[in-house]
Amino acid sequence: MRKRKHALAALVVAIAATGVVLAAGVGAGSAKSNSAFKVAWIYVGPHNDGGWSQAHDAGRLYVQKMLGSKVQTTYKENIAVGAQLQQTVASLVNQGYKMIFGTSYGYFSKAFAAKYPSVLFEQATGTDVAKNLSEYFGAAEDSVFLSGMAAGAASKTGDIGYVVAFPIPEVIRHANAFTLGAQVTHPGAKVHLVWTNNWFDPAKEKKAAQSLVAAGADVLGQNVDSPATGQFAESKGIPWVGYDSDSSKFAPKSWQTASVYNWGPYYLSRVKAAMNGTWKSGFYYGSMKSGFTGIAAFGPSVSAATKAKIAAKMKAIENGSFYEFTGPLYDQSGKLRVKSGVRMQVLKGGTNSLYGMSWLVKGVVGSPKG
Amino acid sequence: MRIERRLRQPRWLIVAVPAGSLVFAFFAAGLVLYATGHNALSSYRQIVDAAFLNSGAIGQTLTQATPLAFTGLAAAAAFRMRLFNIGAEGQLFMGAITADAAGLYLGGHGWPTALVIFAMVIAGCAGGAAWALIPGALRAFFKTNEIITSLMLNYVAAYVLTYLVFNTESYWRQTKGFNASVFPTSKTLPNDALWPSAMIHARGGIALPLGAGIAVLVAFLLWFLFTRTRFGFEAQVLGDSPRAAQYAGMRTRRKILAVMGISGAVAGLGGASQVGDFAHMLDADPNGLQKQYYGYTGIVVAALARYNPLAVVVVAFLIGALQNAGNTLQGADFPSGLVGVMQGIILFSALGGELLVRYRVRVGRTMPATEAA
Amino acid sequence: MTVQSEKDRRGADGAPPPPAVEMRGIVKRFPGVLANDRVDFEAAAGEVHALLGENGAGKSTLSNILTGLYRPDAGEIFIDGEPVQFHSPRDALDARIFMVHQHFRLVEPFTVAENVVLGDHRGEGRTFRLRHRAIEQRVAELSKRYGLAVDPRARVWQLSLGEQQRVEILKALYREARILILDEPTAVLTPQEADVLFETLREMAAEGRTVVFISHKLHEVKAVADRVTVLRGGRSVATVSAADATLRSLASLMVGRELDSGQPARARTPGEPVLELTDVWSDADRGDSAVRGASLVVRGGEIVAVAGVAGNGQRELAETVAGMRRATRGKILVCGKAIRAGDPRSAIAAGVAYVPEDRLGTGVAPSLSIASNLALKGYRERSSSHGPLLRIGRIREHAVELIQRYSIAAPGPGAPARLLSGGNLQKVVLAREFSGKPRLLIAASPTRGLDVGAIETVHAYLREAAADGVGVLLISEDLDEILLLADRVAVMYEGAIVGETSREEADVEEIGLLMAGGQDPRAD
Repeated sequence: MRKRKHALAALVVAIAATGVVLAAGVGAGSAKSNSAFKVAWIYVGPHNDGGWSQAHDAGRLYVQKMLGSKVQTTYKENIAVGAQLQQTVASLVNQGYKMIFGTSYGYFSKAFAAKYPSVLFEQATGTDVAKNLSEYFGAAEDSVFLSGMAAGAASKTGDIGYVVAFPIPEVIRHANAFTLGAQVTHPGAKVHLVWTNNWFDPAKEKKAAQSLVAAGADVLGQNVDSPATGQFAESKGIPWVGYDSDSSKFAPKSWQTASVYNWGPYYLSRVKAAMNGTWKSGFYYGSMKSGFTGIAAFGPSVSAATKAKIAAKMKAIENGSFYEFTGPLYDQSGKLRVKSGVRMQVLKGGTNSLYGMSWLVKGVVGSPKG
Repeated sequence: MRIERRLRQPRWLIVAVPAGSLVFAFFAAGLVLYATGHNALSSYRQIVDAAFLNSGAIGQTLTQATPLAFTGLAAAAAFRMRLFNIGAEGQLFMGAITADAAGLYLGGHGWPTALVIFAMVIAGCAGGAAWALIPGALRAFFKTNEIITSLMLNYVAAYVLTYLVFNTESYWRQTKGFNASVFPTSKTLPNDALWPSAMIHARGGIALPLGAGIAVLVAFLLWFLFTRTRFGFEAQVLGDSPRAAQYAGMRTRRKILAVMGISGAVAGLGGASQVGDFAHMLDADPNGLQKQYYGYTGIVVAALARYNPLAVVVVAFLIGALQNAGNTLQGADFPSGLVGVMQGIILFSALGGELLVRYRVRVGRTMPATEAA
Repeated sequence: MTVQSEKDRRGADGAPPPPAVEMRGIVKRFPGVLANDRVDFEAAAGEVHALLGENGAGKSTLSNILTGLYRPDAGEIFIDGEPVQFHSPRDALDARIFMVHQHFRLVEPFTVAENVVLGDHRGEGRTFRLRHRAIEQRVAELSKRYGLAVDPRARVWQLSLGEQQRVEILKALYREARILILDEPTAVLTPQEADVLFETLREMAAEGRTVVFISHKLHEVKAVADRVTVLRGGRSVATVSAADATLRSLASLMVGRELDSGQPARARTPGEPVLELTDVWSDADRGDSAVRGASLVVRGGEIVAVAGVAGNGQRELAETVAGMRRATRGKILVCGKAIRAGDPRSAIAAGVAYVPEDRLGTGVAPSLSIASNLALKGYRERSSSHGPLLRIGRIREHAVELIQRYSIAAPGPGAPARLLSGGNLQKVVLAREFSGKPRLLIAASPTRGLDVGAIETVHAYLREAAADGVGVLLISEDLDEILLLADRVAVMYEGAIVGETSREEADVEEIGLLMAGGQDPRAD
């Protein structure tokens, strides 16, 4: 027993000694004062995940490129909500970061933002708005709808597999938009869901894709962050519709298109506002028209006819003459959920809210409860 | 060349080896840093700052160290008896679930906070113990390998945790309000179910969570139990030689059940502390608590502490510091993979050093001298 | 089959052929033990040669030398008159010497045919791709020819022990063994299976092979062997023709040392019975019953020895009385009261002390301190604990006292028990067992592996215990020890007490005969 104590004492002493030596040795050199505005991004997955987080990181690099030495940006990747997030934010604040973008729901709450009143927080996909907490997202339902059209056109049997993360309104709304799009180019198309209960889990996503193909799907789509589904589709020679980023390099033959986000311009405007003091908290919902969302370049197997159909719909959405979530909309059981002519709203509560959507449209096969 | 067990451990080794392995780790990691174009010294400086020196750093380290202390103690308690309970992870989840339920149920009714917290502690222990008793009973009555069963139950517990909040409208899930319909969340604990922390006014305020205090207390209790009681004596004999325990008339099955129960209860207490001290709700997100792997890291902590409960607390603090520093270090100019490599080198050196204390490397074919009396 | 014919082996000049195996002056030392002391052994082609001896007589060491597992410290080995040196078991295999060990060397998930070819570095075993069909056919041929009924495609784990033994013999035949050594092959067989095995062995010998049959069962030796070499205490004492020997003469060769009377036990007046066994049965670790209807009485103040060759149920009997093994039938009374079957605590409470055969591992917990081991049973007593709490100080004081009283050479009470030598370890066990103030002491092979000094100490403690009125049940394979200590001798054979005699009337030859199953109806 006594020996063990000695061992631990030695360990503590050694660590402390090393700390002192290092502190003394480097102390002078690290006092590089920097007047650049410090902005940080927190990602739920790796910054090069080929999907969601990579799209955000592209936005960060855009900000860095546009503002040059006036800003200093960094990111923290693979950050779990809870203790790890709290530590990460604390250390960022400690290092002088004044603005933090959290790119996943559940990172920042009003109470959390209140702990750091001098720091500006922005959170993607959430709804909590406070004095120093903003929310932002894009109307990806429009672009997902268009990517669904590509999926429907690529399908021969009308059975499309869709790998989905969590049974939450964001994903449900995208699954619905995707289905509605597929039904435009392939009337009666069915979209089969497999939930992974994770945003980024390549192994699980691949398994989900496998089971979908085994169940008869001849096209795959996804609302998860990694390109694992696409890699599997490529190995089977099945068309694939991605999400978040242009991931054609992971599956060059299977690639159709994807709904993508262009976070850069939003980030740039917000960072600029923060630097010159005009930043105000709010809820931003970017559209296709503003260039916030869009669809990626088409793959080689997409026909000219399909491209034309998608371009026409895109134009209609942009000029307001078409909106996919306009009634009549029926749910899986065939019940009328949105009356003819009624448009669904983004934030308003109730059944008409996109942000509270908990039911799946007719043609989706799967449970909205996961 | 061969490796043989040391019969006696010279005193100087016990000091030299940990220090030496630390120096080795810093050199080895330094080479990696140099090869990847980073300044080793400033990186180390950042580690020390982030772990101990920055304002609030100690508090952050404690946040990470507290659950590790619980899971480390859970592993130490079981491993001492050679019961390889790999299930602290799942037992922690279960403890979090039951403690959260107790907090939600009893809080907000004007009961004294101390009573609510006490109930949460008991509930957390019960939840963890019950989960650990499944592999315990299988081992005691059917001789099933507890490594496999306890490991498998970790996955079950993780799925249960996610299911409770993401896939069903359970008691734990927040169902009221617009926010709850946007993304599934747990109910937040009422104020009188939150665990208090003591503030030390130094270095920008160090918050000592109640859980950290409980962990230290549990460490002392376990140490006392294992060294000063009949129960501990029996567990020790059973761990060393089950045949000798049977020969001495000890009740083997009861002891297996009791030790697994204690181990699970301590892990479950870690879950209660997660809920009461830090999250203030049931963190069911697969990207949250489940990605921290406290249960598995606890095994490393216990091994480094040689299953001594008092040492577990110290080691947990150091590992917590290392993990905390890792979060600070990674970023645009420092890949998170490199952080993992550095942490791996440090842990590997520490464990390898342990080996050198217990074994020695002999070169040549000479027979070992008999050191026995 | 390429076994040389009688004609080939005869030299050109017609001189008698050299023996198939000859070992001269073999010496093998292990730390503290002289296992083989100038052993001479020879066996001719075409004979079944028995190697007879008590446990520890050096039979296994000798056969391990012949199969290249050990290298002798001195001595020579000749195969067909040519001197050979085996550096590894592989060399012995190349000389076509094969051994069937007591514990089989088989891979359980593999089939019989795969096991047969496994490790064979000639022919089929050497090719990368196994030709299953051909091997199976060859194995089937062999098994038919030698009456070794076993399905070549069965998996080994599905086979009975008898069948597994046949696989081992098939392995030897497949490799065209010229010299086959079998180490106590009948231990795992039923009498019927043993008879079949004997036929196979005779047949193999008739083909010109040499079969070395290791045993300590006299009637088997007589039934199967042509000649018998008797080992005793590491030396070869005689080689006799089996046909000329009687069970009695073999028994006396095997055990009949010049008896060193030493200090004969003083006549003690036995007291009340402390142990009464009536028709006790209990199971072996594996399979059948090990104790089969043993009945015995031990009175306070007397030493009753159970003699017998290892493996006849003595260890299991000791464990049954100590509560470590559940009695399946029969009655065990300690001081007139029944103890709970299979509950060591109940036996301890009734006053049963037990010095187990396995010191390190059962008798003591190796990594725990000497003090802890001295408290291994007494920790529940009021002197060592206070409710659930241990009285660490008292335990340590007690340990210091016992270390002194029993002069245990130890670095201190805190040192781990595994650092102690065998003799000191046994002192720790004895000190602890005596400090529990027992009524009955079971001592199982208490002097095995100890040096002369330690043996004397242990003997003295056992006598002292009896003088204090404790009933001592001594289990030993060493007849000298038994005759030196015991007031009464009971002989155990195949799980039952087959004879009982007082020390005064004890006849070594008689006991040896009983031990070796000489009274077995099958013997004559």
